[in-house]
Amino acid sequence: MHIDVQPRDHVLVLKPYEPRIDSHVAVEFRHALGDHAASSRRLLLDLSEVEFIDSSGLGAIVAAHRRAHEHGGLVICAPSEVVLRLFRLARLDRIMQIAKDVDEALSALST
Amino acid sequence: MDETDPGDPESLRDAVLRHARGTLGREWDDLSPRERLAAVSWATRERILGRMLATERRWRRTDAKRVAYLSMEFLMGRSLENNLRNLGLWDECRAGLAELGVDVEELAASEADAALGNGGLGRLAACFLDAMASLDVPGYGYGINYEYGLFRQSIDGGWQRERPDAWRALGTPWLVERADEAVVVPLRGHIEHVDGEGPLGGHWLGWDVLVGVPHDMPVVGHGGRTVNALRLYSARASDEFDIAIFNEGDYLEAVRRKMESETVSKVLYPPDGDERGRELRLVQEYFFTSCAIQDIVKAYLRDHDDLAGLPDKVAIQLNDTHPALAVAELMRVLMDEHGLGWDAAWSITTRTLAYTNHTLLPEALECWSAALLRRVLPRHLQIVEHIDHRFQGEVGARFPGDEARRARMAIVDRGGHEPMVRMAHLAIVGSHSVNGVARLHSELVKSQLVPDFHGMWPERFNNKTNGVTHRRWLAGCNPELAALLDDALGTAWRDDLTLLRGLEPFADDASFREDFLRIKHANKERLATIVEHTAHVPIDPCSLFDVQAKRIHEYKRQLLMALGVVHEYLELLDGRTPPVPRSSLFAGKAAPGYWAARQHIKFINSIARVIDADPRARDWMRVAFVPDYRVSLAERMIPAADLSEQISTAGMEASGTGNMKFALNGALTLGTLDGANIEIRDEVGEENIFIFGLTADEVAQHRERGSYRPRELYEQVPELRRVLDALDGDLFSSGSGTHFRWIKDALLDGGDPFFVLADLPAWIVTQQRVGRLFADPHAWARKAVLNVARMGFFSSDRTVREYARDIWHVPVRDVQAPRSSCSDPITLVEPPS
Repeated sequence: MHIDVQPRDHVLVLKPYEPRIDSHVAVEFRHALGDHAASSRRLLLDLSEVEFIDSSGLGAIVAAHRRAHEHGGLVICAPSEVVLRLFRLARLDRIMQIAKDVDEALSALST
Repeated sequence: MDETDPGDPESLRDAVLRHARGTLGREWDDLSPRERLAAVSWATRERILGRMLATERRWRRTDAKRVAYLSMEFLMGRSLENNLRNLGLWDECRAGLAELGVDVEELAASEADAALGNGGLGRLAACFLDAMASLDVPGYGYGINYEYGLFRQSIDGGWQRERPDAWRALGTPWLVERADEAVVVPLRGHIEHVDGEGPLGGHWLGWDVLVGVPHDMPVVGHGGRTVNALRLYSARASDEFDIAIFNEGDYLEAVRRKMESETVSKVLYPPDGDERGRELRLVQEYFFTSCAIQDIVKAYLRDHDDLAGLPDKVAIQLNDTHPALAVAELMRVLMDEHGLGWDAAWSITTRTLAYTNHTLLPEALECWSAALLRRVLPRHLQIVEHIDHRFQGEVGARFPGDEARRARMAIVDRGGHEPMVRMAHLAIVGSHSVNGVARLHSELVKSQLVPDFHGMWPERFNNKTNGVTHRRWLAGCNPELAALLDDALGTAWRDDLTLLRGLEPFADDASFREDFLRIKHANKERLATIVEHTAHVPIDPCSLFDVQAKRIHEYKRQLLMALGVVHEYLELLDGRTPPVPRSSLFAGKAAPGYWAARQHIKFINSIARVIDADPRARDWMRVAFVPDYRVSLAERMIPAADLSEQISTAGMEASGTGNMKFALNGALTLGTLDGANIEIRDEVGEENIFIFGLTADEVAQHRERGSYRPRELYEQVPELRRVLDALDGDLFSSGSGTHFRWIKDALLDGGDPFFVLADLPAWIVTQQRVGRLFADPHAWARKAVLNVARMGFFSSDRTVREYARDIWHVPVRDVQAPRSSCSDPITLVEPPS
């Protein structure tokens, strides 16, 4: 899977170009997120190109969230309606910030 | 009639021809019989769908409160004739098709039944949908779009054989797929605790996804003004998911996963003998419940912003405990997906849900192991445990120190070797209303089934005696009798069945009775032909048609009637002839894994074979087991019955609805004081029904005291001894190698838990009265007419009115007001505030 990585100020913006994050790409996704989460930067995960994410994909995000927590956290942005529902289903909206777009997310990370 | 869907014969004929070419791609003359049925159905469907859209617009425009009826079963039967009759287009269609050389009745009779149910519970749901649409209630059914309905039954060597019922394998015009409204249903996985939240904390991860694709079956109300829908969900794998695997080349894996997902809506009630079967059943229940709840909430939010108003705009009725997970699912959706707090979500849930209990049989009360729920629905188990925790606190505060009561009322029963979730308790705690389905049943729910709950919340319990839709079960299945009623009373009874009371004076009118008897005889001739073709038993239409047609179950006591028939046969062999010849007709399906019920079918067929072969008996009695009992067969058997056997052990049948259908069509009831039989007796009058046997109280006392001793009865009553001893030899088993000695042993040594021997002498004596009365056709007909006249109470319209008034709080159409046209406002009766 391709993940576009853009440093913006002190934030790494990660944008997966993968319409479907499921068990077939979850391991790769988990490793990629894990590597970036271990860096000393805050993470912004831009899901605008993702149409569906299953629970293994969510699991990878949870793992990245835990690791990134030490460095200022991880913010999700631009999820589709379906993806947002899946975050809510797993109650991940309770522990992660979810912004509607990159600007809102960057603003959240700067505070 | 709406100008967009003209209903004159010519327009109907043209529409049929148009669909022959445009939908089926053939000229009319080249169509097979099945394709002709399809062309007529498509032409009818287009007339229905316009009305369905108009109905939906009306509900949205008026912001009407909706009723969602959640049921694992909907025994809909055939659709074409019922839809045409309710549209008021039956006669027009007959005329239009006659021009094409087609007999519409024959064509409609070739339609496959939608047998998405086992018996009474599913048929009740279907009757309620009809009544809601006819009363202008925005009522929607929610269920499963089973690929295979209830099995088709054939009889082979006297044994039941089952064949799959692929009712829609060749397509059906009656389902409108709504792929764009599919919902995602998560299941399995685990709760992962990321932070230090409380008992409801953690995150549901590792789930699989099922996709629920809705299919709408239109439900046409009487007069065609209101067309609601039954929304049935098919389980599908996510298409994208399969494509992803497919693209990687693992086609077989893609197919396996797809099939596994689609198994969920494959078969009605899979055998639940092993853990895998039980899990599939649980997934089925959750699947359709989750689909329904998601759909209901989404539809509500289309026109409303605040979920706090949900109970004012939606009533959800749980038909038995199969959809009881709605309590947890609605809580989950409100809390997890819409961010409400516990108290707000609980208030909405309990004010929206209502629960109908259907059984007093302890073994039929659903329980799921907590371990299974944890594996399949971990988040829901968390919620259920929290509901139970809070409820336990409430019980403790109300009844301090009464630990035994707390344990009895617990939702999660921790008294056994593994914790079990009692679904009835969950449904009661999560609902604002709990109703039984007949007066006696509702009393027994309160006094015997869940007395602790009744003690805590007496106001929550109520009775709603079942009813049947007279549009299918009189006007549709017995059109000649319906026409006779029209002649006598006018047609208003079709809108208000209580008007049948006006028929009472006709019971004393000899010429009316003649007409009544003539119609009954014609119905019996028609059934005799079916019996000869399917059961291969010739029966005389002049004989007394004594019918027991219902699911085969020990508590319903087909065995009691069978042993009674054996008694009559032995009497004949002893030279004592009955007052009239009799045809004893049985029909019904046994659950494939129910050994005793299957044996009873074999026993009945063995009796039939012996009598058929015995020239001393066959002029006086015939016995037939009519195979493959289903809605469309019931529509033939019920109008032809003289005597309706409703002989369950008192206290065990919740209500019954077959009893109502038979009496409505002029059969006299031979019944125990059980279920709705009691109310039928009260309505038709004690002198117009044959009541016999132990009462529910007497049965309960025997059970409590252990005072019932069937062997003593055997020794004291010569008739019983003679009947049971006849099972010792090979009278009924010669040649087949199957012996029925086990029946005698089970009755005498197994305690006879259904009190068959206790009631058999009374059945025999009462049947003698039946025979003597039948020997006088006009005396019989007088009582039969009075039965028809006094069955108005048992219309499902009355039942739905009561639900609407007491539980759902929705207005219903005022039948006293003149019927309006499609564009007029409806006169509604508001429920009391």
